[in-house]
Amino acid sequence: MAAAAEPVSGPTYADIDRGVRKIMEAPGFVYWVWVGFCFTLVAIAAALWTRQIYVGLGVTGLRQGPMWAMYITNFVFWVGIAHSGTLISAILYLFRTRWRTAVYRVAETMTLFAVLTAGLFPIIHVGRPWYAYWLLPYPNERSLQPDFRSPLVWDAFAVSTYLTISALFLVMGLIPDVANARDVAKGWRKTLYTILSLGWRGTDTQWQHWSMAYLLLAGLATPLVLSVHSVVSWDFAMAQLPGWHSTIFAPYFVAGAIFSGVAMVLTLLIPMRKIMHLEDLVTEWHIDNLAKVVLLTSLIVSYSYGVESFIVWYGKDPIEMMTFHERYFGPHGWVFWVCIFCNCIAPLPLFSPRVRRNTVVLFIITIFVNIGMWFERFMIIAVSQENNFNPSQWAIYHPSITEIMITVGSFAWFLGLFSLFARFMPIISMTELKEGIHWLREAVRDDYYPGLK
Amino acid sequence: MSEGFSRRSFLKLAATAGAAAAVPGCQPAARKLIPYVVPDENVIPGVPQFYATTCTECGAGCGVVARIREGRVIKLEGNPADPIGKGTICARGHAALQGVYNPDRLRNPMRRQGSSLKTVSWDEAEKLLNDALKAAAAKGKNRIAYLGPAHQGPTLRAITEAWLAAYQSYRGIFYEAISETPARDAAEMCFGQRDLPVYHLNKAEVLISFGADFNETWRSPVELGRQFAEFRAPQARRGKLAIGYAYYVSPRMNITAGRCDEWIAAPAGAEAAIALSVLNVILSQGWVSPNAQIDVAGLKSFVASYDPATVSQQTGVPAKTIEAMGERFGKADGAVALAGGDDPATHAAAYVLNVVTGNLGRTMEFLEGMPPEPETRTNDVVAALDSMRNGEVDVLFINETNPVFSMPPAWRAAEAIQKVPLVVWAGGVPGETAEYAHLLLPLHHPLEDWRDTFPRAGVHGLGQPVMQPVFWSKPLGDLLIASARESGVKNAAPWENSQDALRTGWMKLNPKAAAADAEGFWIQSLREGGYVEPTQQAQVKLNVAALKTSPASRELPKLVLAAYPHPFLYDGRGADKPWLQEIPEPVTQIVWDSWAEIHPETAKQYGISKDEVVEIRSSEGVIKTAAHISERVCKGVVSVPIGQGHTSLGRYAKGVGANPFVLLKPGQFSAAVTISPTHTTHELATALFKEHELGRSIVEAQTITELANGVKPKEWQTDEVPKPYEMYPTWQYPVHQWGMTIDANACTGCSACVAACYAENNVPFVGRENVINGRIMSWIRLERYYPEQKYEHQPLLFLAPMLCQQCHHAPCEPVCPVFAAYHTQEGLNGQVYNRCVGTRYCENNCPYKVRRFNWWKPEWPEPLNYQLNPDVTVRGAGVMEKCTFCVQRIRHAEINAMIEKRPVRDGEIVPACVQTCPTHALSFGDMNDKNSEMMKRRVATNNDKRTYRSLNELNTQPAITYLRELYNEREKA
Repeated sequence: MAAAAEPVSGPTYADIDRGVRKIMEAPGFVYWVWVGFCFTLVAIAAALWTRQIYVGLGVTGLRQGPMWAMYITNFVFWVGIAHSGTLISAILYLFRTRWRTAVYRVAETMTLFAVLTAGLFPIIHVGRPWYAYWLLPYPNERSLQPDFRSPLVWDAFAVSTYLTISALFLVMGLIPDVANARDVAKGWRKTLYTILSLGWRGTDTQWQHWSMAYLLLAGLATPLVLSVHSVVSWDFAMAQLPGWHSTIFAPYFVAGAIFSGVAMVLTLLIPMRKIMHLEDLVTEWHIDNLAKVVLLTSLIVSYSYGVESFIVWYGKDPIEMMTFHERYFGPHGWVFWVCIFCNCIAPLPLFSPRVRRNTVVLFIITIFVNIGMWFERFMIIAVSQENNFNPSQWAIYHPSITEIMITVGSFAWFLGLFSLFARFMPIISMTELKEGIHWLREAVRDDYYPGLK
Repeated sequence: MSEGFSRRSFLKLAATAGAAAAVPGCQPAARKLIPYVVPDENVIPGVPQFYATTCTECGAGCGVVARIREGRVIKLEGNPADPIGKGTICARGHAALQGVYNPDRLRNPMRRQGSSLKTVSWDEAEKLLNDALKAAAAKGKNRIAYLGPAHQGPTLRAITEAWLAAYQSYRGIFYEAISETPARDAAEMCFGQRDLPVYHLNKAEVLISFGADFNETWRSPVELGRQFAEFRAPQARRGKLAIGYAYYVSPRMNITAGRCDEWIAAPAGAEAAIALSVLNVILSQGWVSPNAQIDVAGLKSFVASYDPATVSQQTGVPAKTIEAMGERFGKADGAVALAGGDDPATHAAAYVLNVVTGNLGRTMEFLEGMPPEPETRTNDVVAALDSMRNGEVDVLFINETNPVFSMPPAWRAAEAIQKVPLVVWAGGVPGETAEYAHLLLPLHHPLEDWRDTFPRAGVHGLGQPVMQPVFWSKPLGDLLIASARESGVKNAAPWENSQDALRTGWMKLNPKAAAADAEGFWIQSLREGGYVEPTQQAQVKLNVAALKTSPASRELPKLVLAAYPHPFLYDGRGADKPWLQEIPEPVTQIVWDSWAEIHPETAKQYGISKDEVVEIRSSEGVIKTAAHISERVCKGVVSVPIGQGHTSLGRYAKGVGANPFVLLKPGQFSAAVTISPTHTTHELATALFKEHELGRSIVEAQTITELANGVKPKEWQTDEVPKPYEMYPTWQYPVHQWGMTIDANACTGCSACVAACYAENNVPFVGRENVINGRIMSWIRLERYYPEQKYEHQPLLFLAPMLCQQCHHAPCEPVCPVFAAYHTQEGLNGQVYNRCVGTRYCENNCPYKVRRFNWWKPEWPEPLNYQLNPDVTVRGAGVMEKCTFCVQRIRHAEINAMIEKRPVRDGEIVPACVQTCPTHALSFGDMNDKNSEMMKRRVATNNDKRTYRSLNELNTQPAITYLRELYNEREKA
């Protein structure tokens, strides 16, 4: 190569290996305090859930009227979070988008743990969790099968498929990187990485098969990005409750999911990049592109809010009009205005490149988006049920301490798992960064990004 | 029986118990445990037995049939042979079951030693009692007093009096806190006799009630409710379709008022003035019936000072309204005036109104052979209390009544009782009075005991024990007879036991039949639950001479308390029954509490906000309760229900609400009070959120004119649903499609259906906190909505029972992931509890919100669980449940029909709510059978013009068709 004569500017393969392997070194005290804190919260949530299973759902704030509230909000929220992972790893992979290389592993990991978190909530939510498996078809002597007309059954399929694919995708993508780590690891890590790398030696044949498998999985995962959250949205759209019964829900939810998911990637990535000094690998170029996705999906979500309300006004159904009136101005009206602020107004500054590249501001905006998207789901799910068809059965939902702590626990569970993964697994894909090293070098070299060497 | 009495041993005992109940004998209960391997031929496990008996929850004396399963009574239903209830009972009647199985019932005799209670044996207890009685009798006459309820039946009354006589005492006090004395005083004044008349509301076309809540607690609510529904049913009158026109005059719009056309808001105490003023209008306009043969001129002086203008000034009721009332009443072809409350003048005015318009003998009649006045006169009660206070009474025997709770504070009942050296309290759940007792004796519940009732001429109810006693109790009759024998007086009680006393008395009812075949007459009476004989109208004449002077009008204070009996708790005796606590008061829909209803303007004046605890102070005492601000109470009135505020009476009553008796003067239910906010709030529990139905088609109403003209009410001009696109093959109902027709116009809001459903379907009660948290479990509820201001004509209330609509296109079914909610071949929306995972999607998608989720594991503290219906699954935590149209009854009838190789007959299946509805507002049948009673009802007398289906535009196609509520257009004020 001609380039061999020139001095290499920017990171080399060895820099990439060094950078990623450094993250995987034995973590320090602060890290363990953080992980311990997360899992303490998880333990509290688990204890509360155990109590809930034992005494019944009376410990929640659920009631006649809002029979679904925080748990299902969390479910939809976490499924939504899970969406950007597949978007970044599968769709952007197929489109050969350059900037995904540094961030896709984070997104994929986040996807897996978000689905794992989301999957817990339907089980936490149901009255008799020990029978939750009845939602899946399995051979039994009574020939009892689930009712395939029920959106909840579609949901069970969608989420379990998504979990399988995203787990496979992650594990598959990890193979060359784990093998890389195996080569330098010692002790139990060596054993773990040896198992996970499935005998990877980096031969041409292996690379060839691996690439093909990865491509196929990307192809399989791509429709899921659109289908899973569409199916989740049908849990609501298929019901006739005003505020749920709407044809716009599938695209509206998918856009919202990508919006919240990419925001969550940024929320995780920005501090991680700072703490682990990954500025060379995860550059402002990457961050900037993610911020653009947030901005785009924010605009789609804003548009959806507008259309949703417009159709209600245009339809002139008095019951639906009343539901929306209550949504804006009712006892839980503030939830709507929180959504408007966080999801429609707060991301608008992202039009400015300076804001997109200011990680502090960007981090704050993504936090707003996370909050806003959580409340959006709460608004759709709980507030719609508060204003149902029968005014005598309207109600105001107040979450109980159990629900709040389980929600907090779910965040802790997610962050805890993510933190463990980030220090014990290659959280940045060495393989792909090396594949696209010239892009990375360009990004680092580019004058467009002053402040970098 | 001890607390550790297990289900197994109960079942063993039940084998004998059932037999003992079948061949009743009031001997001390057979306590041998006989294993089930030697079954009794009368008890077939799984097959219910039925015993006719009588209800003693109030003085109305409805006949009931008790359903017994494996030796336990599990349900009460009206006895069709009974002329009062005609096969139906009210919510309080149903709740008698929670009296017999109340976990707080006294379980064995107890003696107070110091501050604690010690269990004693019956022998010890009786010896203690009898020794004290003998000692007291030795000291002189009238050293013993008995205090009991007025409606304890003629036989028990006779036994009580014989027992007192044996110990040389005549101090039998039969006390009712809510007294009929004013009505009797008025009858004496008007007609020279103290009997109460009977009413036929169905024969009237105009009704005015001056505070008589005849659909709730007044006299015989089941019977009067039925008559009222007939009165309100559309029928041709003078060639026109019409319904009766009803006025209700009272300080508070209760549910009875809510079912009338006009509620005249009058301050408490003004009812008499208004009644007299209406009479004044009728007399001065000369709308006096010629048949009445009344000296009109003589009567005029009676109402002289009550011309509408003056009364209007005093009471704030417009003179025009009074004149209109007079005109309607005077010109009606059949009218009836009813009076409630404490003022004899109101009662007198109502009697005279009925007489002068020629309605005596028509809508109101006196009968020959009415039962003697059961209540002790007030003076005698006060005298007895005085003698207790003076130490002239050595033994006081209290049966069930709760004077410490319900007597006016001026009588200082507690203080008087404390002066008695030996206070014996006998009854079920120990209340406030029992706290002062030295000896507490558990009595058989009426359902475990023999009794008779004599509610009115010609009606004799016979009650038999329907099961073995739950606890170590004794029948009061036996106790008193045995005690009377101990007195040593010869032939003190000439009966073997109370059953013998009852039978002896019973034989005198029909001496002819008794002489011919005594045993046959007895068995016949037991089977039918009583004996009914023809009655004769008594000839009474209005004593105009006695009505010369106008009664003085009551002073109307600036702020007046109006205390009224709670429709379910009555004078407080229902407060220990969780069903009655949990069934919402039909107007306010408040449960498990008492409240002070205040008009918004009055509240503003005193600076009171919603749910704020207020202090209400009268000259007699002070209470604190939360304010309920409502336009359905007269300005300047604080309205508080009686019945709560117990400091004792078991876990369900204790500490709930406030007791307005402490504010009242003797003989009055209103009092001048002051009210002050306390700046603390106490949330009043209700299961209802919005007061208005927001123009939605849930409960619909129309005017009678609209019905007659066949036009739809303009408020509900919903379009017909076009023929729906069916994605799946539509359901076919080859044999039956069960459906219901509910006449919202006939619903009086009595809530008997709710209670019946609780009893039949093992629906758990949840308590105040859970109701606030939206976890009430009732499968059927009264949907109550207040009219919105925007419409010109509106009824006073929208009211209809709401239960599962058993939709043809049920939104709940396709969303269930596991087929727990499924469609049956007979059109029911089935729910398989075993299959339910508890996703609660079905309830989200149910527009009527009639599904109920088990947030907790339901609990029935022993022995309340003895009442559970073995035919119905007890649901566990985490599953959804709902109305099944009493599927267990449907199956029962279908299996019977199958065995007999015939189709199911129309009317053979009766769900619990339909069975108990006193007004037959609900009917059940097969929608495939156009000739079924239920289907015919949808078209009879223009009814096809008033059918609607709740939330029809959602195309759920419910199996329940409602008939709209009807009302008369009011003149604009």
